[in-house]
Amino acid sequence: MKLDDVVVLGVGMTRFGVYPDRSNADLAREAGMEALADAGLSFAAVGEAFAGYIFAPPMTGIRVMKEFGLTGLPVTHVENASATGLVTFRDAAWAVASGRCEVAMALGFDKMSEATRAPRGRGAGRDAIDNVILPAAYFSLWAMRRMHERGTRPEHFAAIAAKNWNHGALNPKSDRQPDHEITVEEVLASRKIAEPVTAMMTCPVDDGAACAILARPELARRLRPERPLIRVLASSLQTETYTPGHTFMGPVVGPATMSRDAARQVYDEAGLGPEDVDLVLVHDAFANEELEYYELLGFAGDGEAEKLVEEGQTKLGGRIPFNTDGGLIARGHPGGPTGLAQIHEIVQQLRGAAGRRQVEGARVGLAHLVGGGSVCSISLLART
Amino acid sequence: MSEARPERVPIEPGFFTIPDDPKAPPRLLGSRCRACGEHFFPRRAICAKCLNQGTDPVDLGPSGKLYTYTYVHFPLFNSKRADAGGYGVGQVDLPEGPRVMSVLSGGPDEFRIGMQMELELEVLRENSQGQEVVIYRFRPAGGADS
Repeated sequence: MKLDDVVVLGVGMTRFGVYPDRSNADLAREAGMEALADAGLSFAAVGEAFAGYIFAPPMTGIRVMKEFGLTGLPVTHVENASATGLVTFRDAAWAVASGRCEVAMALGFDKMSEATRAPRGRGAGRDAIDNVILPAAYFSLWAMRRMHERGTRPEHFAAIAAKNWNHGALNPKSDRQPDHEITVEEVLASRKIAEPVTAMMTCPVDDGAACAILARPELARRLRPERPLIRVLASSLQTETYTPGHTFMGPVVGPATMSRDAARQVYDEAGLGPEDVDLVLVHDAFANEELEYYELLGFAGDGEAEKLVEEGQTKLGGRIPFNTDGGLIARGHPGGPTGLAQIHEIVQQLRGAAGRRQVEGARVGLAHLVGGGSVCSISLLART
Repeated sequence: MSEARPERVPIEPGFFTIPDDPKAPPRLLGSRCRACGEHFFPRRAICAKCLNQGTDPVDLGPSGKLYTYTYVHFPLFNSKRADAGGYGVGQVDLPEGPRVMSVLSGGPDEFRIGMQMELELEVLRENSQGQEVVIYRFRPAGGADS
């Protein structure tokens, strides 16, 4: 069975940021109603929903869904750490593809700003072996190894961060919208977090919500005849395969090859390759990750990612723009909704509605997230 | 009369030994697959490589080679030394095979990839019973004891 008879009919999202006076329900209602309006549907038409969040207590998804009305629809909670949003998207796509429902809603919300103040559950108070180390350290371990093996310099990571900050300036839904051109020097001069990563190479702690409505192409043609169809070509989800050197402790573990395997799966399913992709959204919680994904997703040969940075090929206007909406570093990263914000951006780009950050003639977009544990989820979307 | 040394207890049981001799290095509590011989840390019942049900407990370390590291410019969570400024984090390849994520002891300039590391215990804090809560960490081999 294939996914390509499912389309994204509507998208919505709040601007990501810190919202001390707004609840998850409030944020989710805004994103969900925006997506329904974009689709041209009332909530009564939604046949199934997938609610993704990381930090709120059990039952929160079901309760948040009551904001839209009590129609008796099936609601499933989804949690896959940072990859949560893309997994709600995958589940909603399959709910439609399988014929289980006509219209499915993928909804993500989170208030990471509250979670970072009050740890909960196992390891609360950091009193467990897994919780002693600051999460920022884990991807810095990749960066240090990369520098050792490939001669990568902190300037490469800083250039990626500066690019994403500057993309954020063009996106009204981005948390960070700098009022001046961010430079490599400025990124390098910001506070050191974990060698070689500086504060401006890391994503902010955010609150927010995002939503996508999925349906069959026939419904899209009837409701939005003026728009192109945005098809879901493929969607993968995988955990790690055992290899020597797998570290079982810690939230982000193991070799990075999980992204390579998950990418190969979507390319195979869609019958496309990286050369067919026009824009890419990746998990740039830390700037050095994005460099690795250039290679792991097939956009550069092994050891050639640095060249892409030096030539500016992943900027808007470059050969293959990455994180056109600012990425996790600028647009932000609340947790649950992050993947659906990526879908939001790809849909705007494929509709030709991305304004000042429009990728000319964009036809195929790829969204990638990794999550602690760890998992990787990738979705490939195309305008037809 | 010398004061008795406080009893040492692990931050979480089942991960490392606490030798009676305070100068002796701890060992990591691992498993070895009865079918394929692969070693794991921490302990597990089913082999992650060949899926065989049946592993034997083994003590791992106490030395290994630094695969990668970083230095975090914030105090360690739950550390007794909150004013220490920062701490190293690394992945150490044990001779038996497992790669172990760990806090590292030493300053930001004391590490290099490929160097030999040795396991030691660090006191995180004192609990309400007056016991020292300890965690394992690695330090550069030949370095001074903390």
